[in-house]
Amino acid sequence: MSHIQLDDLRKRFGDVEAVRGIDLEIEKGEFLVLVGPSGCGKSTTLRMLAGLEDISEGELRIADERVNGVAPKNRNVAMVFQNYALYPHMTAAENMKFGMKSAGDYGDDEIERRLDRAADILDIPELMERKPGELSGGERQRVAIGRALVREPEVFLLDEPLSNLDAKLRVQMRAELLKLHQELQTTTVYVTHDQTEAMTLGDRVAVLDAGQLQQVAEPQELYDFPANRFVAEFIGNPAMNLVPVDVVEDGGEVRAEHEGFSVGLPDQAGLDDAVGQSAHFGIRPEDVSLAGNLPADAPTHEITVSVTEPLGESLLMHCDVGGDEIQVKAEPRAEIRPGDDIEVGFDEERLHLFDQSGDAVYHSTSATPKTSEAPLTE
Amino acid sequence: MTEFTKPFDSSWQAYLLLVPTFAVLIAFLYYPAVETFRLSLYQTLLLGTQKAFVGLENFKILATSPEYQRSFVISFAFAAFVVVGTLVVSLFVSYLLFEVSRGTSSYLVAAIWPYALPTAVAATVLMFLMHPTLGVITHYLEALTGIELDWFTSGPLAFVVVGLVAIWKQLGYNIIFLVAALNNIPETLTESAKLDGVGRLKMLYKVYVPLISPTMVFLVVMDTIYAFFQTFPMVDLMTSGGPSGATNLLIYKLYRDAFEFNSLGKASAESIILFVIVAILMYVQLRVSESYTHYGA
Repeated sequence: MSHIQLDDLRKRFGDVEAVRGIDLEIEKGEFLVLVGPSGCGKSTTLRMLAGLEDISEGELRIADERVNGVAPKNRNVAMVFQNYALYPHMTAAENMKFGMKSAGDYGDDEIERRLDRAADILDIPELMERKPGELSGGERQRVAIGRALVREPEVFLLDEPLSNLDAKLRVQMRAELLKLHQELQTTTVYVTHDQTEAMTLGDRVAVLDAGQLQQVAEPQELYDFPANRFVAEFIGNPAMNLVPVDVVEDGGEVRAEHEGFSVGLPDQAGLDDAVGQSAHFGIRPEDVSLAGNLPADAPTHEITVSVTEPLGESLLMHCDVGGDEIQVKAEPRAEIRPGDDIEVGFDEERLHLFDQSGDAVYHSTSATPKTSEAPLTE
Repeated sequence: MTEFTKPFDSSWQAYLLLVPTFAVLIAFLYYPAVETFRLSLYQTLLLGTQKAFVGLENFKILATSPEYQRSFVISFAFAAFVVVGTLVVSLFVSYLLFEVSRGTSSYLVAAIWPYALPTAVAATVLMFLMHPTLGVITHYLEALTGIELDWFTSGPLAFVVVGLVAIWKQLGYNIIFLVAALNNIPETLTESAKLDGVGRLKMLYKVYVPLISPTMVFLVVMDTIYAFFQTFPMVDLMTSGGPSGATNLLIYKLYRDAFEFNSLGKASAESIILFVIVAILMYVQLRVSESYTHYGA
């Protein structure tokens, strides 16, 4: 049974349609991440779930109950805001208790019990008597999460909760959020613009652009089988390379022809339809290998390195191939200088084709997720 | 690198440009202040054409004068009434303005408008609206309550009526500041409270008031100054300090002592006292509020 159901949900601000019909079902206990660039409507969608924005059109159901127009407090949801939204004149404990005390539905003992429990879970009992001004960013975020916890809501809504933290703390809090969710198993909807956060946190990730849902899938599926160019480029860092190619049939083999290379495409669904069309060929920087790492008979292509970026764990190269730029990830400490011509091969299991409208028409591996196999070592 | 240029070649140019400002300040502020202090030590006749040094005699006379003591008490009561009344009403109105989402500016203009009215005009208009025999407001109030509201003869009523006019006049000033302060509160705090189901009134006094307390302290100080110094036209036009001294505020009394009874020396002494009172009050207000006010995020 799905816990939250969005049915053609729309939001208009005057003439601007910020959310353009979102259909989405969120399972009970699921951690769903809404991800997309600024202005894609992800926060608006979350705010509609919370009841902070009116729904212009469509239907929203929580626990099988239509909640369009239901006041936020009656939806049994708790929200964590990007700027924490702590009351600056109250201590952490007062901040966490304020909502429950005001609602008046809980006895003092119950409030204290929940407060202690939340403080323990988040490991912040020693911060309880401090005011937000005396807390660091990470501590404030813990208190803000604690405030949501004490309500023991049906649904957690988190609006870019880690965006104001520094990079190191963000990674740490990310892990803690995951742990917390495993412990509580509360349905969670999490908004972020950071695809890494989306990939690491989400049971499923919903990618939004321009107010429309682009794809909803498990993180790995999103990465392996992007439904369109937007998802392909948005998920994964650095972004997937996309270059224009002509798909041609040549002696029983279908090939993607580009000025700088020609790649044989393994037979998979959709390939026949693509033949004779011009398309965009997609390959991730990490799926391009230096020729030295490939078997001797593997097809290779010559590309020219224009810029190198040593990332530490790998070397990112911006290369020129037949007038288009592609990025290639090589092992670190590779002796490659800008201006060098290098031989590379494409992982033929990781090739993608997108048609002119941007939809994916072909992935070189079947889109049914494989059961995990032990990785092969060379 | 560009050379750092001084705004003026020499400092005398800067001094020269400051001269007009200081000339005005000295002529209309510092000199009269010093002169007032000097005059307070003299007994004067005929608008100060004849005077004799009497030391602190003026202050002694005032301290022992029952009329002055009464005026003193009335002024404090009046200030308390006006400051509290203004703050409470303007806070309420500001909160409504803050909550309303349509036509905000029209409401705001309507609420601020009395402040743009010259005090004398406001006093005159309201005097006719509340006139015991001609006034529209008094007519309906009397019809509704059955009580006779003759504030021309009743001291306490006159005090309240002048106080209400003073409050009404000062509302706009307070509302401008309070609405601005309320709008500075991060919206997520309001939204968070909505999710928690915190009631509006509770939100106001538990969250908004503490957060805008710096603005409220400022307004307490400004309203106190207003109540002591700027309510003169209302008293002068509406009650002339009466009936039987019920609205004889210090500021009005010192005017009469100076220009009706020609005791410039005594009036100067009253000015000095009034100045000291307000200065002390402001100091106390600021010190007391320090422990309650929440500054910064």
